[in-house]
Amino acid sequence: MTRSKLVIKNITRKKSRFLFTIFGIAVGIASLVTLLSLGAGLESEVRRQSEQLGAELVVTPKGWCAYEQISVLTGETLPEAIPNEDVEKVAGIKGITAIPYLVQRTALRNQPVPVVGILSTQMMKFKKWEIDKGEYLLDGGSVVTGFGIARQFELNVGDALTIRGAPFRLSGILKEKGNRDDLAIYMDLATAQRLYQVGDMVSFIAVKVDDITRIDGYSLEIQERANVAVVSDKQLVRSVLAIVGSVRNTLQLVAAVAILAACFGIINTMVTAIHERKREIGILQALGAGRETIFSLFLYESAFYGFLGGVIGIVGGVIFSYVAAPYITQNEFTAFLGSAQSVEVFNPDVVGKAMLFSLLVASLSGIYPAFQASRLSPVEAISYE
Amino acid sequence: MNDLIIRTEKLTKIYEDGYRTVALQDIDLTIARGSLSCIMGPSGHGKSTLLHLIGGLDRPTSGRVYLEDMDLTSVGSSKLAVLRCRRIGFVFQFFNLLPVLTVLENVEVSMMLAGVPQKEQRERAIEILRLVGLEEKCHVKPNQLSGGQRQRVAIARAMANNPDILLMDEPTGNLDSKSEQELLTHIHKVNQNGKTIVIVTHSQMVAAVAQRIFLIRDGRLENS
Repeated sequence: MTRSKLVIKNITRKKSRFLFTIFGIAVGIASLVTLLSLGAGLESEVRRQSEQLGAELVVTPKGWCAYEQISVLTGETLPEAIPNEDVEKVAGIKGITAIPYLVQRTALRNQPVPVVGILSTQMMKFKKWEIDKGEYLLDGGSVVTGFGIARQFELNVGDALTIRGAPFRLSGILKEKGNRDDLAIYMDLATAQRLYQVGDMVSFIAVKVDDITRIDGYSLEIQERANVAVVSDKQLVRSVLAIVGSVRNTLQLVAAVAILAACFGIINTMVTAIHERKREIGILQALGAGRETIFSLFLYESAFYGFLGGVIGIVGGVIFSYVAAPYITQNEFTAFLGSAQSVEVFNPDVVGKAMLFSLLVASLSGIYPAFQASRLSPVEAISYE
Repeated sequence: MNDLIIRTEKLTKIYEDGYRTVALQDIDLTIARGSLSCIMGPSGHGKSTLLHLIGGLDRPTSGRVYLEDMDLTSVGSSKLAVLRCRRIGFVFQFFNLLPVLTVLENVEVSMMLAGVPQKEQRERAIEILRLVGLEEKCHVKPNQLSGGQRQRVAIARAMANNPDILLMDEPTGNLDSKSEQELLTHIHKVNQNGKTIVIVTHSQMVAAVAQRIFLIRDGRLENS
């Protein structure tokens, strides 16, 4: 006989109560794992998108809020606010390459799709795009699409597209990049400006610098020359991550409430078990179990709930993350993740933290009942009927 | 004094939960090593209380209990637990076996609390169950045994750590006369092996095998 065997025999004697208590903690841990996985996925996706933006500086209109900064990474529609005059001033600075973007939106089969106005030659070089099908031809009547859009809407080279009421021909499909570039229609900047009636405005300018050590100098120079704000890719990531972090924290708080409820379930189960097994506690005391032994036996029981609930919750959370990922990524905030792979279905760090958390909260929940059990008088306990 | 294993001095127990109940008053008794003694008297007059105090399960309101030269009233609860584990075995009227464990595990649990290694627990438990004639019942649960068999398991469990003293609270109270006789045979054997046995009982059959009888009435020791 070992303590662990005694604990398992005691804990499983009331099967339905045991299962409901386990499920209580498992549901809490599963939601925590799902939300942590989503949070970790969001964070790594933000970093990946930022890296693939290919720019060290982003020139934005003055007064943009964090949500608009996120949209630089997500491809959401952005207000047109930088005039061509400023674009030329920025582009005129020696040692940098300035790529203007006009980010708008159209609908294909009633689904929103980003339309990005670009300078075709510059962009091809800047992004190192390659053509999968057709040709890279952007003019007044031709557009190209990313790989993802072509696949999603089953588009082929030569197809006719109607964008904001105007007819266009799909001249080419880009090779898959595995980022936001796959999920947009690209057209010539001047055509986009005319189509969306934004005059000579663009949404933002991506800037690549020749000498990274002079990045602060370039930033100052851009702001001196034009009436714009400049944010570095790192600042951009920081501000996006701050928002992602606050959303993640809120979601984790929801999961923590679920786990807290499960903790009360454990306390309730343990207190009831102590009441029912009062006489048995007395027997163990008569056989020579001291207070520490009784305390530890009941603490092990609640920790066992945490262990088993944690394992089931983690498995459930990983499965749920896998199944739910495609649906989760379809909401407004996370739409830019673009693919189910963005939710990190199995993250060892998340699994480790969730297991530790489960054990910790279950053990803490067991302290009060275990203390109550250890304080029972042997004679009172053994005489209990 | 070496032949005395238990000694009490002016042992008094008063319960004061709402109203005052004097359960025991000024009990002075001595129990010789290796003896078989009975505590008798009407129900509710303090017999079980005396047994609990002798066994260190409860603490007196005043007075002393000595196990050899050790004053049990002055040792802490952890040390008392160790003493109960290694030197004293309890047997109760209602058997008090752990229902989720098998017969074998019920015996092993005492040794687990004493820190005996698992392999040794198993060997000793089987040996003791053989002594009380229950080795073929090792793997059944207590609810599959008769009353007499359960009490023999309780005796086996009490003897598992080879204690000096066995304290029995109405061990035959729930048994028919045949089972009582069988159990007494086992108790007698245990006593002949040198164990000191104190039995609280109403049974004349049990009293008949005792070397000494203490009569408790209204919490006082009347004669012995």
